[in-house]
Amino acid sequence: MSAPSSEPRTDSGVVAQTPSAAHRRTLMGYLTVPVILGLVCLGLFIYVQSRDLDSIEQRSLNVGSITEALQEHIVLTAVSTLVTLIIAVPLGVLLTRPLTRRVRPFIIGVLTILQAVPTIAILVLLAVAFLFLGFQAAIVGLVLYAIIPVLLNTMVGLEQVDANVLEAGRGMGLSKMQVLRRLELPLAVPVILAGVRTALVINVGTATLVTYINAGGLGDIIVAGLSTNRVLVQIVGAALTAVLALLIDYIAGIAEDFLRPKGL
Amino acid sequence: MTQTTNSTPSVSGSDPSVMIRLEGLTKRFPGQKVNAVDELTMDIHEGEIVVLVGPSGCGKTTTMKMINRIIEPSSGRIILKGQDVTTTNADDLRRRIGYVIQQVGLFPHMTIGQNIATVPRLIGWSAERVRNRVDELMTMVNMDPDEYRDRYPKQLSGGQQQRIGVARALGGDPSVMLMDEPFGAIDPITRDRLQNEFLRLQSEVRKTIVFVTHDIDEAIKMGDRIAILQEGSRIAQYDTPEQILTAPANDFVKDFIGSGASLKRLNLSRVSEIELSTWPTVTNEDSHERAHELLAASDHSAVLVLDDEGRPVRWAGADDLRRGSGKRLDQVGSVPQAVIEPRATLSDALNELVTARYAVTVVVDERGRYQGVVDIDQINETIRSMRSSAVAEARTEFASEGADPAQGSS
Repeated sequence: MSAPSSEPRTDSGVVAQTPSAAHRRTLMGYLTVPVILGLVCLGLFIYVQSRDLDSIEQRSLNVGSITEALQEHIVLTAVSTLVTLIIAVPLGVLLTRPLTRRVRPFIIGVLTILQAVPTIAILVLLAVAFLFLGFQAAIVGLVLYAIIPVLLNTMVGLEQVDANVLEAGRGMGLSKMQVLRRLELPLAVPVILAGVRTALVINVGTATLVTYINAGGLGDIIVAGLSTNRVLVQIVGAALTAVLALLIDYIAGIAEDFLRPKGL
Repeated sequence: MTQTTNSTPSVSGSDPSVMIRLEGLTKRFPGQKVNAVDELTMDIHEGEIVVLVGPSGCGKTTTMKMINRIIEPSSGRIILKGQDVTTTNADDLRRRIGYVIQQVGLFPHMTIGQNIATVPRLIGWSAERVRNRVDELMTMVNMDPDEYRDRYPKQLSGGQQQRIGVARALGGDPSVMLMDEPFGAIDPITRDRLQNEFLRLQSEVRKTIVFVTHDIDEAIKMGDRIAILQEGSRIAQYDTPEQILTAPANDFVKDFIGSGASLKRLNLSRVSEIELSTWPTVTNEDSHERAHELLAASDHSAVLVLDDEGRPVRWAGADDLRRGSGKRLDQVGSVPQAVIEPRATLSDALNELVTARYAVTVVVDERGRYQGVVDIDQINETIRSMRSSAVAEARTEFASEGADPAQGSS
């Protein structure tokens, strides 16, 4: 930390540039992904328009049902990620405190096993064993799967904070809570955000499965295409899922750039 | 095995000049058989820099960290300004004590200004007062507030970071500062400059400072008092740098100071403190005959020629006089190179005289006028008298304490 990374400038009165500027992309860099994704959607739209759709295809491929599926999918992803954060970040904080050293391996072990169970199995179990269906059951399944990356990233993020910074903070009389709030959490933000991004991408993908427990989403379109053997419908559903996943990953990346504390 | 008697000075019950008193301070880390710090008792006086110095693993850092209870003592008491703080709220205690560590530990996501403002904000100063304090402290450590206040730590060099580290520790105007090898990770040239700046700063702020280092030279330079620690933080000697260098209490101290103790000791005395020798002098108006007379009358091989103002201008030996016969005396011989002022240290004087012609250093006052000379005999005599007086002082101390003379055996 002590190595000078940039020669201090001598011109006074100039506001120091933020060191994280190097992480931010140029305007072109920001535009590339949305432009490509837009072109993909446009291509898909033109292709679908150019085809004569039969009545089965028409039932899936119209603005109303696609918009509805897309909306459901986004809500599923957002809510499940939010719930994941609410559970995983505090748990990560708790598991990095000295008090919980004993139970740490146990809790991580249990969660790792849970993650090994495929989401579809969890969804089916919830539905069959507990007659638990619909939106809420879908959220439970998605959260169980996404918790581990966020939890591990929170823990790693907190543990990689320079011990000297924390010692200096304690030595100056910051209480343990103040050290956590003012030093540990802000300094762990970049790593925690990387975990959130992973969780988001996992949730977009996995949310296609909740159609099986009647929770909607883009999975509805894919499964409709599969069950009626309409390739075009399958392609549209799959392509929209992919575009949504890439878009969310892109937005999360921008959020990472801007939420990273200055000075890091 | 090294055996030493504890030479801690015994101090009466309530000496108001004692800022920090450690009483039987002990730390045993879990799973360790021996105490890292074993029954340490010492007094630290107000306004002094006390340096804890010793080999790696002697417990000096542990000792320091127990004072602000970053490490909680296993037993013993810490008394700060007469108040027992061993079990009071540790966070409140730490806000009263400045803390500087080798790795600095600036908060990387906060600006320099925010870093320095940490403690003032914690103890509830008004925004206005905090702002003024930040600027004041940055100026104190030679960092222009307007230029650096809004920068982030990683935009600063190592030396600048430690300056800010010191400024931040002074933030809440604590009466006590703990410094753990603060200049240890800094290159030698910058370190020397920071040490000098810090000593100047200390002469203004007069804090009570506990300073940990493993470098005896740094200890001698920085310390008003030095505690040389052995394993378990046992005090081998706790005394002024002068006493430690001239009268090491035992073989451990002697070994730790290493060779060259006498040379180090010379750093602590100034030319103004010794009586200067005289040397035959002539003025540039004097005749050659006068110079020859003086030479013949003295056992020196040259005379020193002074100008109208009394400033030394030439060394004139018998050969020079012969060769330059007919010239004015300030035209013959060689220009004196080894010239120092009275506030130079004896070490400077010695350094000059070993290379000087005629093996003497000429001492002049601040206006360059001849005062006298220093030669090797005087330095030798000075060292010997320092040693004998230090030994005598140490003897009377032991006698009055009724303690055994501290004789180390190895």
